[in-house]
Amino acid sequence: MRGSRCWATLCILTLLVPLAGACKKRGPSPEDAVGGPDGTGLVDEEGLAGGSPPGSSLARAQQGLPPEEGGVLRDIPFAYDSYELEGEALAALARNLEWLRANPRAKVEIEGHCDSRGTIEYNLALGAKRARSVKDYLVEQGIEASRLSTISYGEELPVCSEETESCWARNRRAHFVVLGR
Amino acid sequence: MIHLLSILMLVVGLTSPPSVCAVVTGSIFGPGSEAFPIAVLPLENLGGDQGGRLGSEFARILSRDLRLSGYFRLLDPVTFVERSESHGFAAAEPDFVAWAALGASEVVKGTVLVAGDQITVEVRMYDVAGRRDVPEVGRRFTGPRTDLARMAHRTADRILQVLTGERGPFDSRIALTSTRGGGLKELFTYTFDQEVPVAVTSLRGIVVGPRWHPDRRSILFASYQQHQPRLFQIELASRDVRPLTSQGVFLSGAWSPDGLQLLVTREVGGNTDIYLYDAGGRELRRLTDHWAIDVSPAWAPDGRRFAFCSARTGAPQIYVMDIAGGEARRVSRTGNYNTSPVWSPKGDMLAWVTRGSGGFQVVVQPIDGEARTITRHGSNEDPSWSPDGRYLVFSSTQSGRRLLWMADREGRTQHQLTSGAGGDSSPAWSAWLE
Repeated sequence: MRGSRCWATLCILTLLVPLAGACKKRGPSPEDAVGGPDGTGLVDEEGLAGGSPPGSSLARAQQGLPPEEGGVLRDIPFAYDSYELEGEALAALARNLEWLRANPRAKVEIEGHCDSRGTIEYNLALGAKRARSVKDYLVEQGIEASRLSTISYGEELPVCSEETESCWARNRRAHFVVLGR
Repeated sequence: MIHLLSILMLVVGLTSPPSVCAVVTGSIFGPGSEAFPIAVLPLENLGGDQGGRLGSEFARILSRDLRLSGYFRLLDPVTFVERSESHGFAAAEPDFVAWAALGASEVVKGTVLVAGDQITVEVRMYDVAGRRDVPEVGRRFTGPRTDLARMAHRTADRILQVLTGERGPFDSRIALTSTRGGGLKELFTYTFDQEVPVAVTSLRGIVVGPRWHPDRRSILFASYQQHQPRLFQIELASRDVRPLTSQGVFLSGAWSPDGLQLLVTREVGGNTDIYLYDAGGRELRRLTDHWAIDVSPAWAPDGRRFAFCSARTGAPQIYVMDIAGGEARRVSRTGNYNTSPVWSPKGDMLAWVTRGSGGFQVVVQPIDGEARTITRHGSNEDPSWSPDGRYLVFSSTQSGRRLLWMADREGRTQHQLTSGAGGDSSPAWSAWLE
């Protein structure tokens, strides 16, 4: 598409400038319309993406893959509408702590996830609390904060979608993605 | 002759004040009363409407709007005593005696003329008991063929104005997110002539919390295009997408009624608070400062207050606060999980979502009055008020898949709006399109 590289460059520049506004992405021209409400076609992600880290739940979803459960590091479970670390969560965190100490160059992203019960925006905030409480615990245990980033996906990227207690429990978790060692 | 009549009708339609409000007594006049048995005839083809398709489509859309309003009982067309194609509409009044025998209190009929891409629609409503034309409804529209649906919606809104004293809400749009298409949530729009929403974006970055700009030309949303969720605005006509925030983490934003400021939910260090931003994406003021979750700011229509959701007492509840600052005042008094507040366009009521024993339900409450639950079945989330303040749209699993539903604010009527694959969420009802 004409000028798309130019737009991408503009977007990168915009990321460096606190005040946004210059980064525009124009959708397909009316000639290649696919039937949007104004007949101007769908707006795609080209030129807007700053990218999710490889292996993250969003990057996997973009490849059509389900979110990973567990992995190199264990998932941390939570009770409903809670971001407190309790028995099972602390046991899993102890294992993850060992791994982080054994791999001192590794950086990880902690993803906060929620079950489907509750409002979308509230769950985004709850997922942020969950990821942060895990990060705070690890920092208290001596892991450098610069090795730990956090993100919330709320209820947006569930590992299962049945309306059952066992499925809800699987979705209430903090998940670790290893960004590099 | 026809031309002269059209011009007369146009003049009448434009100049008459909406003075005729049917006087209906009794306590249940309102959505759900089905107070008006009405017959909507297909538009008579004055030329160019092949197979009468446009005329039938107009009647279908108008009938659906009137049914959704809850004020009407639509008479079954198979019982109709006259067919629009058998009479010269402009010249002939309906057969009032026959319509009265069928039980109709109003009859809507009209004509369509197609000339190239342009269509001309004339529509009139007749009061059967009064045996007269109701000139306040009479209207002549000319425009491109693609405007047919809006002509029908505007007619429905006008009929509601004349019969109920308040303009109907159907000449509007609903923004929503949906996983229709099989992938991540994208931005869609829906109008009342559709059953299936139309995709606007294919960003593949999870679109959440769409909100209209007050000019109805663009939609604000949060999306993960740049790893963390941030705010973007899409202009519908050009499809330009513009980031409003380029640093930080933002879960939602809402334009002030004057379009000059934004209330945003911003996450810093795992905690969310409400901030006031200017239209250029610069922080003006932090409005809440609490270690607990503060989310979902909703402007009052006067632009001086806002409602939001906070878990500061340990569980999410609804609070109201002045934009100028000060104490947050709790307004939700029952239930231990109340989220997603929205302020009615007249300023008199709030709606939100509450968790009850049977799932999540929509609640409506006068600011300092009693809360009323308006949904009963399934999981119901993210209410948004109609521009006239009589209805709410929300996502619901009442029929299985998550789809858009609408209810009147008393909860007497519940109508499923979208159908099919589902995955519809976070509806935001626009202001009137004009």
